[in-house]
Amino acid sequence: MKRAIRVTVNRTEHVLSVEPCETLLDLLRNHLNLTGAKLGCDQQVCGACTVLLDGLPVSSCTVLAVDVDARQVLSIEGLAEGQELHPIQHAFLRHSAFQCAYCTPGMIMAIKALQDQVPRANDDQIRHFLAGNICRCGCHVEILEVARAILGTPSTPPREVLP
Amino acid sequence: MNDGFAVGRAIPRLEGKEKVTGQLQYLSDLKIPHMLHGKILRSTVAHGRIKRIDASKAEQLPGVVAVLTRDDVLRNTQHKSHYGPVFKDQTVVAIDKVRYVGDPVAAVAAADAAIAEEALELIEVDYDPLPTVCTPEEALAPDAPLLHEFADRPEHEFADLKDIAGVSGTNICSLFKLQKGHAARGFAEADRVFEDVFSTPAAQHAALESFTTVAQFDPSGRLTVWSTVQNPFVIRDQLAELFNLPESMVRVIVLYLGGSYGSKQYPKLEPLVAALAHKARQPVGITLTREEVFHTITKHGATVRLKTGVKKDGTIVARDCQVYLNTGAYAEIGPRVCKKAGYTAGGPYLIPNLNIESRLIYTNCVPAGAFRGFGVTQTTWAHESQLSMIARKLNIDPLEMMLKNLVDEGDEFATGERIQSFGLRECLQKAAQAIDWGKKSRSTDSSKAIGKGLACAIKSTITPSSSSAHMRLNDAGTVHVYVGTVEMGQASDTTMAQIAAEELGIPIDRITIVHSDTDLTPYDLSTSSSRSTFHMGRAVQLAAQDLKRQLALSGTGAHSVVGSGTVNTNTLKAKGEHQTSAFWFAGAGAAEVEVDRETGLVRVLRYAAVVDVGKPINPVHCEQQLRGAAIFGIGQALLEQMVYQDGLLINPNFLDYNLPRFLDVPKELIAVLVEHPHAEGPHGAKGIGETAIIPVAPAIANAVEDAVGARVNELPITPERVLRALRAAEMDAARGAVLSN
Amino acid sequence: MPLRSFEYIEPASVSEACQILGDYPEEARICAGGTSLLLLMKQSIVRPRYLVNIKKIPRLCYIENDGAMVRIGALTTHHDLEVSPLIAQCFPPIAETEHEIANVRVRSVGTVGGNLGFAEPLTDLPPMFMALDASVKIENAKQSRLIPLGTLFVGHYETILEPGELITEVQISRTPKSFGLKYLRFSAGSDKPAVGCAVSVTLDDSTGVCSNARVVLGCVAPTPLRVEASEALLVGREFRPQLAEQAARVASEACSPLEDIRGSEQYKRDIVKILTARAVTGAFEHAKRLS
Repeated sequence: MKRAIRVTVNRTEHVLSVEPCETLLDLLRNHLNLTGAKLGCDQQVCGACTVLLDGLPVSSCTVLAVDVDARQVLSIEGLAEGQELHPIQHAFLRHSAFQCAYCTPGMIMAIKALQDQVPRANDDQIRHFLAGNICRCGCHVEILEVARAILGTPSTPPREVLP
Repeated sequence: MNDGFAVGRAIPRLEGKEKVTGQLQYLSDLKIPHMLHGKILRSTVAHGRIKRIDASKAEQLPGVVAVLTRDDVLRNTQHKSHYGPVFKDQTVVAIDKVRYVGDPVAAVAAADAAIAEEALELIEVDYDPLPTVCTPEEALAPDAPLLHEFADRPEHEFADLKDIAGVSGTNICSLFKLQKGHAARGFAEADRVFEDVFSTPAAQHAALESFTTVAQFDPSGRLTVWSTVQNPFVIRDQLAELFNLPESMVRVIVLYLGGSYGSKQYPKLEPLVAALAHKARQPVGITLTREEVFHTITKHGATVRLKTGVKKDGTIVARDCQVYLNTGAYAEIGPRVCKKAGYTAGGPYLIPNLNIESRLIYTNCVPAGAFRGFGVTQTTWAHESQLSMIARKLNIDPLEMMLKNLVDEGDEFATGERIQSFGLRECLQKAAQAIDWGKKSRSTDSSKAIGKGLACAIKSTITPSSSSAHMRLNDAGTVHVYVGTVEMGQASDTTMAQIAAEELGIPIDRITIVHSDTDLTPYDLSTSSSRSTFHMGRAVQLAAQDLKRQLALSGTGAHSVVGSGTVNTNTLKAKGEHQTSAFWFAGAGAAEVEVDRETGLVRVLRYAAVVDVGKPINPVHCEQQLRGAAIFGIGQALLEQMVYQDGLLINPNFLDYNLPRFLDVPKELIAVLVEHPHAEGPHGAKGIGETAIIPVAPAIANAVEDAVGARVNELPITPERVLRALRAAEMDAARGAVLSN
Repeated sequence: MPLRSFEYIEPASVSEACQILGDYPEEARICAGGTSLLLLMKQSIVRPRYLVNIKKIPRLCYIENDGAMVRIGALTTHHDLEVSPLIAQCFPPIAETEHEIANVRVRSVGTVGGNLGFAEPLTDLPPMFMALDASVKIENAKQSRLIPLGTLFVGHYETILEPGELITEVQISRTPKSFGLKYLRFSAGSDKPAVGCAVSVTLDDSTGVCSNARVVLGCVAPTPLRVEASEALLVGREFRPQLAEQAARVASEACSPLEDIRGSEQYKRDIVKILTARAVTGAFEHAKRLS
């Protein structure tokens, strides 16, 4: 049986009628035509569906739409301010931190969450935080450069080699 | 050749803004009006006859518009039932038999996915199970059941496969042989002979974007298909043949792919979705679940038996390669994999006596097909691992042994041709340099050991092949460029635009790329085999030159000017020389690893991927390809395997199939581009999409052996396998110590 | 795969939730974070007719210090535990372990109550909480009971909960000064652990002799496995590397891990041995540092 929910997505409030079995990903893609978040594995492993729910990164494929009533959702479409890209988006472009870009919306939202939660993260902490986002094209080196640039932290010095 | 103002520059991807804002449309983002949702019913047995199938209850479910079973396929005389890129051994849905768990048996088109799903449960199927064969060994046993009783001759003949044949009365789908010199004599002359077996499991491409196909017949009978495919023209041809239509009545459109790595080549969903759309008289779309993707296409699992005869000084005098490729239930493009793997199974070495037999074998597993590296990864795993093993046993530096035997530019290769534009020696030397080869590293932790390993690779590209490009001048000096190349993240759109901009002398923002639509873009064989920059890039260059020529002649009326360029490569060259490949790939990998002696866990500390690119059209994108392929290769080397139990795939999901993450990426991942220009490539450029993945696994295994003296010859190199090998090596050493006392 | 239809019921209190769960023992399931349940539903392994959303029940999400113990409400998420200053102060190993669990998104929504109630063998919190002698508060519509966490787990995905019961709180007693806890996990490249080992020791302040110990293995049995034989070896002894080795050997022999894609039985036993030795060493070191 459908239920009415009131949810703020990208700073705009929506009143939507959803089935309990719909996910937040279904809500974004089907009800609001926000197709940036993608279905990748449907198991919370790959991170292609990452959005922020009340500021925390979640797998929208495994959050029920009914559970976001009265809450705030931020998706990739909500990062830019009109035509002005978010600094993380600029950094992705500058560092060429994507290839097929299927993981990119989720990866960008994960970096946004990283910036919010661990603003002084070092390299190891960045890798650990982003370990839950898979990039099959293998842009990890570039994505790390983006995270470093965004956090403004210097990289960890390279391992010392004993002769 | 100097850098131009577009070529050689790190120009950002044309579609970058759309990608970072989430606005780029992939096929599953597209909403086609009146589209029905389709779902597929799949076999639950690995091998069996379909005794009975009854879809009447499903058809009656409200919201169901059409159900497709073998009855429709057999009844419909307009359409054929069988298809396949080489052998027509696949059917739109299973007809008399199912040959693997997951084999499509029926399909439903309904108003929404939930109804379609519910309808599947109402379809009744009774199977008569048949004995199953799950490995090449089982499939080759004398009493093995045959998967395909009738071996079809290829009707759609790819020029490079016209000699391919199987062995009727067996499960050998196809066979390839290459012989040079006299292997038996060679082994007799050797100082030492080594025999080893190397194995690779089936693996997943795991593109994050699943497979989607939408098909629509219009009232005139014209079929339009949107699909996530790498080769729209091949799909068009296969569908035209299947539905008895002229090619002009079939249109295949590809948007952008969210990764592919070979998985999205050749018909997968298209015949079924088109047949369902035909029956439903409405557009039908199917997107596979992740679990279904696992059950659709895989990398070829392989066993390679390698016998190598060498002189004391490390010179290779004879080699025998027996390759067994598990192609699963259907041939797909397996015959080409079999041939490609066969060509280079001996490695990039001058070997006077060489015997190669490559066999492609049917089993009741998920069908295997094109996968980045295309069979060469599996054979390179063998020859590069064994070379390092032999070098250690002879007390020779593996690098020295590789350089001693290496094929160089101008040398005659195993395929009988002289190799041109081949910078492998330089790649190998630079890879070794990048990880300080020769300097031993020690870990500060006594339970860990550090080691280094090297490997190199040679691969060919599909030859003969063909690519054409068109170019149209608009007002304000802007240009539309039409290319059949599919943009799947490798920056093909940008590469083509850079080449066009360079040739025309205009800024890149004046160029619009129109891609991968068989109605709009001229013929291209496929986006695969690392061929697009070389073939389509050159076609774009020729089209631009043609455009300029015509402009010079036309004066006014620039709108009517269309430039076109075509590249056709052939196995017979102008001077009557024979070539197997229009250009050869050369690359090397160097790994430094840390091994935990207690758990067997391997961490890659440093990895260098060095590839001969000829000339980088865009150096940043080229380096990205190298790093991306290296990370992909690390996954294949250490983490990834599809695991079967009695024909059932037990890990068809990302929780149980381990993909490489940030924590698996080496802290130092070095990409080096080597430049040995090719006379026929645009600005000397060659393709590099696959090269860097090929040497990764053997480089890592060689590094593990260097670290702890333990050899793992079975992929993936799991901690358990390392620990077992470590224990075995320790026991051997202890026995040796006892014997010598 | 899309989820099948169900009814979503949102009780406002624990007793209301328990009433519904009791009325529909076969057809109703608790939905907290959903990270475990929804995956099973997507694969059609379970098809509940009712999902009972307990997230709207007030006062189930908290981490409180009442002097003698820390109380953790069942709706506390992994993320809450990971960043809680109180947990960092009282039980740093819990925060460290939370940092490793699954991935950052699962930690945002997965709850402690859900983790314990799901009783999946491949998890990290149960062995660690058992090494802390945690208790679990279980409520039904009428009353509540407190049980040692170890008795909650009965089998593979099976708890002692009766129909109509709900986990509402985890209680962990404040630990004495020279108490050390070490949890180690081995994961073969997956989000899930393959082997886990939690060791805790309490040392006598003056002598450094172990007066109490817990050795709990995770992932190698249908439920977390307490190895009392290893514990007995540690009690009354001071730390020596050989002691850790001994306790580790006993632990590896005490379990019968199943062979699966994460490893063979023998390999998992080998890892149990290594992790237990390292965890014993780590627990003693932790205790000595604090004393």
